[in-house]
Amino acid sequence: MTIEKKSSGTELLMAISGRMDTSTAPQFEAELKSSLDGVEKLVLDFENLEYVSSAGLRVILAAQKIMNKQGKMVIKNVGEVIAEVFEITGFVDILTIE
Amino acid sequence: MTVKLLITAFCNAALAILLYIAERKTSLKKMPYMAKQFIIGVLFGLVAVYSSTSVGGVELNGAIVNVRDASPLCAGLIFGAPAGIISGLIGGVFRYIATFLGITGTYTQLACSVSTILVGFIAAALRKFMFDDKKPTWIYGVGIAIVCEIMHMLMIFFTNMNDVTTAFGFVENCTLPMVLGNSIAVGIAIGMVSLLSKEKNTNNKGQKQISQTFQFWLLVCIVLAFAATSIFTSVLQTRVSQTEAESVIKTNLNDVYQDVMDASDENLLSKTTKIRDEYLSGEDVKTLAEKYNVIEVNIIDTNGIITDTNNDEYIGYDMTSGDQSAEFLVLLKGEVQEYIQDYRPTSYDNKTYRKYGGMILPDGGFLQVGYDARQFGADVNTFVVKSVKNRHIGNSGFIIVCDEQLKIISDDSNQNGKDLSAIGMPVNRENTSPGAIFETDINGTPHLCAYHFVEGYYIIGTMPTEEAMYMKTLSGYVNMFSEMIVFAALFVLIYFLIKEIIIKNIQKINISLAQITNGNLDVKVEVRSNEEFASLSDDINSTVTTLKSYIAEAAARIDKELEFAKQIQYSSLPTAFPERYEFELYAKMITAKEVGGDFYDFYMINDHTVAFLIADVSGKGIPAAMFMMKAKAIIKGLAESGLEPDEIFTKANTSLCENNEAGMFVTAWLGILDLSTGLLKFANAGHNPPLICKGNEKFEYLKARSGMILAGMEGIRYRKNEIRLSPGDRICLYTDGVTEATTTDNVLYGEQRLLDFVNTVGAANPKELCERIEEDVNLFAGDAPQFDDITMLGLTYRCVFGEYMISVIPNNESHTVVDLFAEQIASKLLLVPKIANKIHIIFDEIYANIVSYSKATSATISYDITDEKLHLIFSDNGIAYDPLGASEPDITLSAEERQIGGLGIFIVKKMAENVEYTREDERNVLRITLALTQN
Repeated sequence: MTIEKKSSGTELLMAISGRMDTSTAPQFEAELKSSLDGVEKLVLDFENLEYVSSAGLRVILAAQKIMNKQGKMVIKNVGEVIAEVFEITGFVDILTIE
Repeated sequence: MTVKLLITAFCNAALAILLYIAERKTSLKKMPYMAKQFIIGVLFGLVAVYSSTSVGGVELNGAIVNVRDASPLCAGLIFGAPAGIISGLIGGVFRYIATFLGITGTYTQLACSVSTILVGFIAAALRKFMFDDKKPTWIYGVGIAIVCEIMHMLMIFFTNMNDVTTAFGFVENCTLPMVLGNSIAVGIAIGMVSLLSKEKNTNNKGQKQISQTFQFWLLVCIVLAFAATSIFTSVLQTRVSQTEAESVIKTNLNDVYQDVMDASDENLLSKTTKIRDEYLSGEDVKTLAEKYNVIEVNIIDTNGIITDTNNDEYIGYDMTSGDQSAEFLVLLKGEVQEYIQDYRPTSYDNKTYRKYGGMILPDGGFLQVGYDARQFGADVNTFVVKSVKNRHIGNSGFIIVCDEQLKIISDDSNQNGKDLSAIGMPVNRENTSPGAIFETDINGTPHLCAYHFVEGYYIIGTMPTEEAMYMKTLSGYVNMFSEMIVFAALFVLIYFLIKEIIIKNIQKINISLAQITNGNLDVKVEVRSNEEFASLSDDINSTVTTLKSYIAEAAARIDKELEFAKQIQYSSLPTAFPERYEFELYAKMITAKEVGGDFYDFYMINDHTVAFLIADVSGKGIPAAMFMMKAKAIIKGLAESGLEPDEIFTKANTSLCENNEAGMFVTAWLGILDLSTGLLKFANAGHNPPLICKGNEKFEYLKARSGMILAGMEGIRYRKNEIRLSPGDRICLYTDGVTEATTTDNVLYGEQRLLDFVNTVGAANPKELCERIEEDVNLFAGDAPQFDDITMLGLTYRCVFGEYMISVIPNNESHTVVDLFAEQIASKLLLVPKIANKIHIIFDEIYANIVSYSKATSATISYDITDEKLHLIFSDNGIAYDPLGASEPDITLSAEERQIGGLGIFIVKKMAENVEYTREDERNVLRITLALTQN
C-alpha cells in the first residue's frame, strides 16, 4: 500500500493505492494519526485501492470519527469491490462517498 | 724362547676372546658393571701371574723375560679401567712377592712390580680419557705396549742407579723380547676381539675425523722428532765417546813414551859417563866401544871436528855440517855439561838411525857416544816391558810394544817375539801417522788403536771399540727410552689438549648446529672457552639471528599469500541468503588461522527446491582449499542437474577419486528440500550428524546411517534418506570445528554440550542460532587457539507452499505468504479483479482471525474447484472456535456507536456462497465456497 498526501490549507488529500488489509491497515492508521491535526477536510482517494478488508474498515471508521469532530471526511473514486464491502457492512451510511 | 713367549702372549688373547663372548652370551651380561670388572681384572691378573713364572716366561741371564704387562693392558684397554687396575695390582704384587718365594730375581723386583701396577693404571687412564671408554684399535694397543715396556726398562735403570752396568746388561738382553712379546700379545688380543665384534670402520663416508687426522700427523711428527733427536744424540755420543777413547789412549801412549825416553836417556847417560871416565883414564875409544857395546865413540875438539873415533871414516867430520850433529855444539859453549839426543837419523847418513849422548871433556871438546836400537833395546827392553805390562787403557784396553821390525816385545797375552800382523794388526809408519786413531781387529775384536814410534819402539795403545762406545750405547738406550716415554706422554698430552680445547668444542657447536638445522632456531651456540670459539659462536649466532629474520619475513609473505588464498576461498562461499518465505537459511564459517577445507553451500535447484550442504576437506592449507573448491563445484554441478542426494554423492565420489594422488577426502552432508511438500532428502558422506528440531520439540541428532567419506574409495554407493519437515522445523549443520573445539586443557566441546546448548539457547532464527553457538564455542575455548574452521548452517522451514495447499505457522509475518497463495490462486484461475479481490478479502479476514485468536501453531489453507465454484478450506490446530456462532454486527448504527468486531466474518459470509465450520481431529476447519462467475 502506498499513500500520497496533498495538503492545501486545512484540506488534506490522501490518495491510497494497493490493498488495505490486516498487513497494511496499521500503516494507514499511523499515517492518519500524524496528519490529521488541524485538518478540517479529509479527502480519501480510493481510485487505485484494490480492496478493503475489515482491518481497513476499522481505520476508516476511526478516521471518520475524528473528522466528525474536526470537520468532514470524503471518500472518492470507490471501486466495485470496495463499494460492495461498504454496502455489506453498512458503511455506506456512515461515510461520505462521492 | 720365542715360541714360549708367544704362547703366553696368546693366553691373553684367548682370555680376551672368552671374556668378550661371555660378556655377551652368558649371565655375565646381567652382572653389575663393577662385579664384572672385578672378575675380568682377577682373571687377567692370574694370566699376569702365570706370565711372571718361568712356566710362562723365559729365563734369560737370571731374569725372566715375560709378557706380564700385557695382561693389565688387555684388561684395561679392552674391558675397562677398573679391570686394568685390578689385574695390574695382582700382577705387580705377585711379582714383588715372587722374589721372596725364589721364583724370580731380586735385581728387577721393584722395577718390575711397580711397572706392572703402573701399566694397569696407564691402561685405565688411557681408556677413560683418551679413548672415551672404548676399546682402542690394535695399532694403539701395540704402541701403548711398546711404550709401557720401555718404561719398564727405564724403571730397571732408575731402581739400579748405583749399578748401571748390570742394569744395562738386563735391559740390553730383555728390551727386544719383552717389547715384542707384550706388544704382540696386546695387538693380537685387541685385534681378535675387534674381528669378533665385526667392527667396521663406522666412518663409511671415507672422511676422517679431525682427531684421526690429527693423531696421524702428530704421530708422524713425534716419530720424526724422536728419530731426529735419536740420530743426533747417537752421532754426538759416538763422537764424544771416540774423542774420550782417543784421549785415554793418547794419554797412556804419551806416558809410556815419556817413560821409555827417560829410561833410554838415563841408560845412555850412565854409559856415556862410564866411557868418558875410562877414556880420561887413558882407555882407547875402540876398546871402549867394544867393551860397552856401542856403535860409536867420538872425540870432538873445541872446533867441533871429530878428532878421534872408533870408526875411522868419521875422522875430520865437522859437527856443524848437519842439523843432527850441530845440536851437540851446545856442549862447546859451556852452557851444559851433558846432552842426550833422541833416536833419529844421523846427519852423516840419514838412512842410519842413532841415539847419541855427549859429555864435555875437562880439556875442552867433548865425548859423544852413539848406539843403534838393537844395542839400545838390549839395555832397556826389560824396563819398557815392565813399564807397559801392567798398564791398562780403560777397563780392557792394553799397550803393545814392538821393535823396529814389528816384532812384539810386550802385549797383554804374551805373544812376545811374534810379528805384529799375527794378532791382526797392520801398523805401518808410511800409512799411518803416529798419534792418529785407527780402528782394527785385534784377535777378531774391533779395537780403537794409536801408536807412537819412540827410541826404536812401536808403542801401540788399544781399546776395544765396544768399551769405547759403552757409554754411548748406554746413554743411547737411556736417551732413547726417555725420549720415547717423553714423546709418548707428549703425544697423549697434545692429543688430549686438542681434544679438550678443539674437538670437544667443535662437537658442542655441531650439536647446537644440528638442533638449529632441525628447526630450533632459538638454540644459541655458547662455546666460550677461548677467543676463537667465542667469536665462532657469535658468528653462528648472528647468522642464525639473520636467518631467523629472513625466515620471519618469508613466513610473513607466505602468511599474506595464505591470507589471500583464504579470502578467495571464503569469497567462494555464498553469503547472499535467499529471501523466501518458505524457509530461512543462514550459514557462517569462522576460519582458523591456517587455510582450512571447510565449506558450506546452498542454491535453489528450481523454484521450489533448495539444496544445502556442509563439508569438511581433510587436511589444511592450499591443497585442502583447492580440493574444497573442486568438491564444491562438482557437487553443485550434479545437484543443479536435478539428481537425488545419494546419486550426487555417488557421482561426486567417482569424480573426486580421479587423480587424487594427494589422498585427500571430504566429509559432507547434503540436503535437498522440496519446499512445496516439506520432504527433505539427504545423504551423509561421513559427516557429523546434523541437529534437527521437529514440531517444537527439542533438538536431537539426525542419526541416519552415514556413508563413506567422499574421495576415499572408488565405487561407493550412498544411501538416500528422507524426512518430512513441517513448518517451524529447524535443522542445524556444523563441522567438527564446533564439536572438536578445545580448551587450553584440551577438553573437547563435544556433541552433548552442543545438543544441550541448542536446546537451551532459544534462538529466534538460524542466524541467531549460528551466532549463539559461535559465542558459546568461543566462551568454551577461552584462550585456546582455534585450530580448525568452525562452520555452521542453519535452516528453518517456515511454510509448505504447494500448488493447492499452503501450510504456515500462524503469525503476523505469515500474512504475506498467505496473500501470496491467494495471488497464486487468482493468477492460476485467470480471475477477474473483482473475484480476485474478494478472495483476497476472504483470505485476509479468516487468516487474521486464526492469527489473532486461535493460538494455533499450524494453519493450512487448501482449495479446489468444482462447477466453477472455488472451495476453500481453512484449517488450524488452535482452540475450538466457531466464527459462525457469533452474533452478527448491527450495521445500522452510527459511526460513533459502531463496534468493529465480527465485521470480518460477516463480510466473508456475505461474499461467499456458503460458509461451514466443523471441528475435525482437534482442528478448526472452515469451508468456504465462492462462485467464480460474475453474478
